[in-house]
Amino acid sequence: MTGPYGVGIGWRPEIAGFVAELPGLRFVEVVAESVPATGPLPPGLAQLRERVVTVVPHGVRLSLGGAEPVDPARVAHLAAVAQRVDAPLVSEHIAFVRAGGLEAGHLLPLPRSREAVDVICANVARAQAELPVPIALEPIAALIDWPDDELDEADFLTEILDRTGALLLLDVANVYANARNRGTDPLALLDRLPLDRVGYAHVAGGSEHGGYYHDTHTDPVPPAVLELVGELCARRRPPALLLERDGGYPPAADLRAELDALATAAGYPAVT
Amino acid sequence: MIVNAASGDTWGIPGPTFLRFYLVATAVVAALAVLYRIRLLAGSNTAVAGPLGAQQLAYLNGGPALAVHAALGGLRGSGAIGVGPDRRLLTTGPTPTGLTPLDQAIHWAAHQRSRARDLNQERRVRDALDQLRTDLEQRGMLLSQAQRVAVRRWTRVLAALLTLGVVRLFAGLTNGRPVGYLLLTLFGVLAAVLLLWRVPQTTRAGRAALRDQRRQHAHLSPGSSPAYATYGAAGAAMGVALYGTASLWALDPGFAEQAEVQRQALGGGWSSGSSGTTSSGGGSSCGGGSSCGGGGGCGGGGCGG
Repeated sequence: MTGPYGVGIGWRPEIAGFVAELPGLRFVEVVAESVPATGPLPPGLAQLRERVVTVVPHGVRLSLGGAEPVDPARVAHLAAVAQRVDAPLVSEHIAFVRAGGLEAGHLLPLPRSREAVDVICANVARAQAELPVPIALEPIAALIDWPDDELDEADFLTEILDRTGALLLLDVANVYANARNRGTDPLALLDRLPLDRVGYAHVAGGSEHGGYYHDTHTDPVPPAVLELVGELCARRRPPALLLERDGGYPPAADLRAELDALATAAGYPAVT
Repeated sequence: MIVNAASGDTWGIPGPTFLRFYLVATAVVAALAVLYRIRLLAGSNTAVAGPLGAQQLAYLNGGPALAVHAALGGLRGSGAIGVGPDRRLLTTGPTPTGLTPLDQAIHWAAHQRSRARDLNQERRVRDALDQLRTDLEQRGMLLSQAQRVAVRRWTRVLAALLTLGVVRLFAGLTNGRPVGYLLLTLFGVLAAVLLLWRVPQTTRAGRAALRDQRRQHAHLSPGSSPAYATYGAAGAAMGVALYGTASLWALDPGFAEQAEVQRQALGGGWSSGSSGTTSSGGGSSCGGGSSCGGGGGCGGGGCGG
């Protein structure tokens, strides 16, 4: 149960055979909801555990930002998965996925208000009480800001991290996307974030549509995002960086090249 | 009186005596048949020449038809072949390197604008398939026709005993003698003959090799919706080989549909019933996989032999 280190990749069943053949791999992330709490682990994942590759469960359905208390059954599942894969930490999003019994089906951003901070801190505390390992929180990409935002992104995150003691899962592509779509400077945000609290970082690809940059996870990582990775590592290098690819899987050689480019940008050893 | 009683016995042998000898004889022959079968069906575990390729595994899994489809998957995965609106195959771009004889034969046939379903009739393709079969027989993964005949050697003797029993049964009935126990015995012998007559195409070594490869390539099972773009042509061929033509549909539904490839999932129920086909002559289209129905269709009623 060593912490995530170096360059990793999001483990998905679709590319399990590719991930299994990365010789230098020491760290993967798995969507927590895709791992059963009992019964056999997905075969590829079990193999990685035998190779002592660190597996971090990444929740997407906890809805920590929901107005209602976080669902104990979902927390219990996340805790069970963490135990099954002997995870050093788990991660979830600062977002809500359901409200008033309605499932949004994807991650929705919270208004950056003091009230929202209270809501999320209460939910994180509830989750932390049941989780066997620390939790890292990931802010999500948003094309728009809520009109009643009281805090800026950095203050909002710092406040949540300070009050919960949680780690930060910094999504570099999100930082890029948010800055790009709002016309702000991503470096200014990096400079104000508590980088010493970063548990690991996400890096993903995206594409531009209608003047907006979309964090699709199905496109190649653009050079600008890799540059931002370099800037981040120059300030304070996260212990690990993870390539997220959720679809539009390219030929193995392209995916290896992306991992290599990420390793080069971060100054970590290549895993390919 | 004694003479009269003896003459009342069918063939001059009292029923209980006949039954006793008959039971012993059938039991001994059935035991021999079972032992012989177990020994011959083991196949060989000594790998003759390295690991099995995708097309060999496909042949083991689903006979010549699946071997052809595995080659189609590989060639399609590398972009070497396509299909025209007339549903005939065509070649796209230069011939890739490192092709197996079956690949080459199919690539050539595609160049001749053959239909996918007619590939098995192309002479070059058949030669390549025969080559695959011979190689698998030499490796002890498939039973040769001669071996399949040999497996039934003692079963034939058992069948002869069954015939004898049936004749005795009718003779006894004609004589008005009680035949109840003989009839019961004959049902047992008939069941044994029917069971033993079924000889699978694959040996235990062949099925073990297939199981082993499925374990190693679990990521190619359709349940994982494998990213064939990432796994490349080799992954596509192996996916079809181990999990049936459903993989070809997942790889490229447009191609599979246009080329009229039957959708067939193999792999789920392999371990449950592996002694599938009986005598469908040189590898039926459903192979030794007992997989008819599982994936909805070994087309054209080719199942069951």
